[in-house]
Amino acid sequence: MATKIGIGFSQHLDSEIAARDAAFESKTNLNSDRIDIALVFATIHYNPKKIASVLNKVLNETKIIGCSTAGIILSHAIQTRGIGVLTMASDEMKFGAGAIPNINHQNMRDAGAAFARNCVFNLGNHKRQGFILFMDGSLQNTTFFIHGIQEVLGNVFPIMGTGSCDNFHFSQNYQIYNETLLRNSAVGIIMGGQVTMGIGTRHGLKPLGKPRIIDQSQGNIIRTIDGKKASNIYDEYFGQEAQSMRLRQMGQIACYYPLGIFLEHKQEYLIRNAVDFLSDGSIVCQGDIPSGSEVHIMIGSRDGARQAALEATQTALSHLGGKPPRLILILESLTRLKLLGRSAFQEIQRMKEILPAQTPIFGIYGHGEIIPVQSVEDQTQKTYFQNESITVIALT
Amino acid sequence: MFSFSDQIFLLLSFVFFIIGGVAILLVVYKNDQIKDLKDTITKMNRSFNELDEQAKLIVKTDLELNKAQEELDNRLNGLDALQKASRLISTTLDENEIFHRLNQSLMIDLNFEKNIVLIYDENKKLQPKVNLGFIQEEVNEILSRFSKDANLHKSLKEGLSFSSVSSTKQRREDILHIFQIEHFVLSPILTQNGIIGIIFLGNLTETSPVTIGDEEVVSILANQIGQSLENARLFEQVFRSSQALEAKVQDRTKELAQALEDVQIVSKTKSDFISAVSHELRTPLTSIKGYASILMSDKLGVVPDAVKLRLEKINQHSDNLVKMINDLLDIARIESGRQEMHFVRCNLKEIFDNIHDLLTPQLNSKNIQWALEIDPKATEVPVDRQQLERVIINLVGNAVKFVPSTKGTITIKTKLNDDQMVEIQVIDNGIGIEEKETHRLFEEFYRVENAINQNVKGTGLGLSLAKKIVEAHKGKIWVTSKVGSGTTFHFTVPLEHTEKVIS
Repeated sequence: MATKIGIGFSQHLDSEIAARDAAFESKTNLNSDRIDIALVFATIHYNPKKIASVLNKVLNETKIIGCSTAGIILSHAIQTRGIGVLTMASDEMKFGAGAIPNINHQNMRDAGAAFARNCVFNLGNHKRQGFILFMDGSLQNTTFFIHGIQEVLGNVFPIMGTGSCDNFHFSQNYQIYNETLLRNSAVGIIMGGQVTMGIGTRHGLKPLGKPRIIDQSQGNIIRTIDGKKASNIYDEYFGQEAQSMRLRQMGQIACYYPLGIFLEHKQEYLIRNAVDFLSDGSIVCQGDIPSGSEVHIMIGSRDGARQAALEATQTALSHLGGKPPRLILILESLTRLKLLGRSAFQEIQRMKEILPAQTPIFGIYGHGEIIPVQSVEDQTQKTYFQNESITVIALT
Repeated sequence: MFSFSDQIFLLLSFVFFIIGGVAILLVVYKNDQIKDLKDTITKMNRSFNELDEQAKLIVKTDLELNKAQEELDNRLNGLDALQKASRLISTTLDENEIFHRLNQSLMIDLNFEKNIVLIYDENKKLQPKVNLGFIQEEVNEILSRFSKDANLHKSLKEGLSFSSVSSTKQRREDILHIFQIEHFVLSPILTQNGIIGIIFLGNLTETSPVTIGDEEVVSILANQIGQSLENARLFEQVFRSSQALEAKVQDRTKELAQALEDVQIVSKTKSDFISAVSHELRTPLTSIKGYASILMSDKLGVVPDAVKLRLEKINQHSDNLVKMINDLLDIARIESGRQEMHFVRCNLKEIFDNIHDLLTPQLNSKNIQWALEIDPKATEVPVDRQQLERVIINLVGNAVKFVPSTKGTITIKTKLNDDQMVEIQVIDNGIGIEEKETHRLFEEFYRVENAINQNVKGTGLGLSLAKKIVEAHKGKIWVTSKVGSGTTFHFTVPLEHTEKVIS
């Protein structure tokens, strides 16, 4: 049988019909009696309870993981409304799916470790190749959760993921595990067996202005920068505009001008979106911020974002040893969708220029990415929480 | 000389002096270096600060560009969606289908989180036709709150649109109170007859604010919806009218068909009756004529003159009666199709000359001038000669009757018409016929009321018979006349006949 892949998508207005149509289309394209794993992404226009139930029935009660998203990436389009279903069946690849509910009520590190052990157990005795997870995008500072996963899988094991999102509503996030609907949770799969994974990740943002030092931080909250309250950095650059942006358009600051933390010996800066400003002038980020870090305001451009997508794809393909990819999975930041606007699909077109024709592409726009950042010195990869990035996973 | 201790002291002093000198030199040197370093740091700081100032400029410019780009993207998205929605709703004339298509298009392409289209029903109450994102309870609440805001009603009726970016604070709060959505566009759906509904689109979050561009797009869309609904309703009206009309036409056609059938039955009955009666009348008439002839021939004894005079009257009236019966029989035969036409290609001039010979006594008696104009393009026609001669004799006989005693003229004229029919005209300069009577001339037993007809006996069957004969030739007959100037009878026969023609 080798490996079979089927992708289905529907934009029908009715939740149950859309779920059914997408699942049937995916099954039809899979062309297999067996389904080993299904990945489901749905925009917030659909009733998650209804779609989970329908998908479970139509997909022969196979293992399903998925989450809410702001957009679905397909080979032919980017859709900000719809339900996408990816099904896989393979004799070579093995999948260990798992979930961990209510992370916010647990010790993050312990929850991450339990989650990873659950997935490893379900994979069985097969060689582990990579871990993909989808966690609640509204959870803040998930670094310890990642550390927990790394305790089980190792520090250099490739871990990739993204936060489920609801287009900045921060209230309708959900994750799907089989027919169960979860919140404040994480779902994921460890891929193993005879599979090669090529991973490329980039953000394409550039530092702007003079470097500054974060002299006080606490987890994901930056207290002071260069001895002044952290929010001053935005006040200095945006003046009066910063005040109105803080009040009305947080997404725009996060989208266009995130903070970039310099990492020694790494290819790119670590990006942190400002998700909130506290009354004492502290900036709340989605990921942790080490004290003493050098920080810059970062600036992005549409061309830079497209180039980043291309470079991420090139990197992913370079790890396949010349073999053509069977599937391209994309985990991309929602802020890039905002940044690219109408031209968002152009980055997929740029990627397709270097991909073999007919390579299936399936992806999600999420809120906060978990990515392996490669060292420029020794090719090792360490997992970080990241914002504004695109991660391309090529499977063969 | 110096003691050893002095020497040591001197040596040490010298060494200290040297070290001090070197130290002083070093301090001076280091101070220079530190100064240079400080200068460099100051320069670097200044450069960094200048760089930062430049960065601030870049950020501000970039922010403006991004805003412009976002607005442009929004506009383009809106125009795309508008174009698609317009195309979708303008390609159907079914009102329900318009709403169904709007349902799809509004949600997917305009990219608003909540949309509702409310349309007034016959009772002037708003009914939800498109509802995306609102639950029924919310819709009911919206309808209830909306009905209470008379000011908003009035403004919408005046064609005003509202949005969260352009409306006054008070208006924004009113609309927020009704729809419970902060970022919105509200526009009336207008037709030529005024407001027929409203369209509301909105977003819940700060991250998707409504723009002026959105307001413009929604206003245009509302107009397009109004136009499409008006078209659909007009089409519905026309369709219903045409259906009613078609039903009426079908009813009338049925009635007419039935009436025609009845008329045909009556006509056949009449023909059969005339035929039967005529046959029954002709036999005793023949006897009457025979007996009258015998009596007049004096074979049964000399008949007194007075009796002979009466017998001649009997004979004469019997002849008239026989002629009338024969005409009636011919009409009945032609009507019933029992009279077979024998089409023979005939020379028209020969026919007209023959008739002239036949009628010469009558023509001469009134000194009537006879003229003949034959179209050289149609000299021969396939006709039943005997029947055609009856028609012409009848028409010329009438003309003779009505031309004046002096300077009377009768002209026979032929011409080939574009439809390949040969038109034969019998033209006289007689007293003419009033137009109101020309329509009834060809009815059976109809005689024009005039002084000549009162003195000249006639059956009123001649022209009716002529009409039947012409129609049996697939031709038409009609009359044009002017009182005091004369009358022209026209009739046509085909130049070629589809039926069998004897050469």
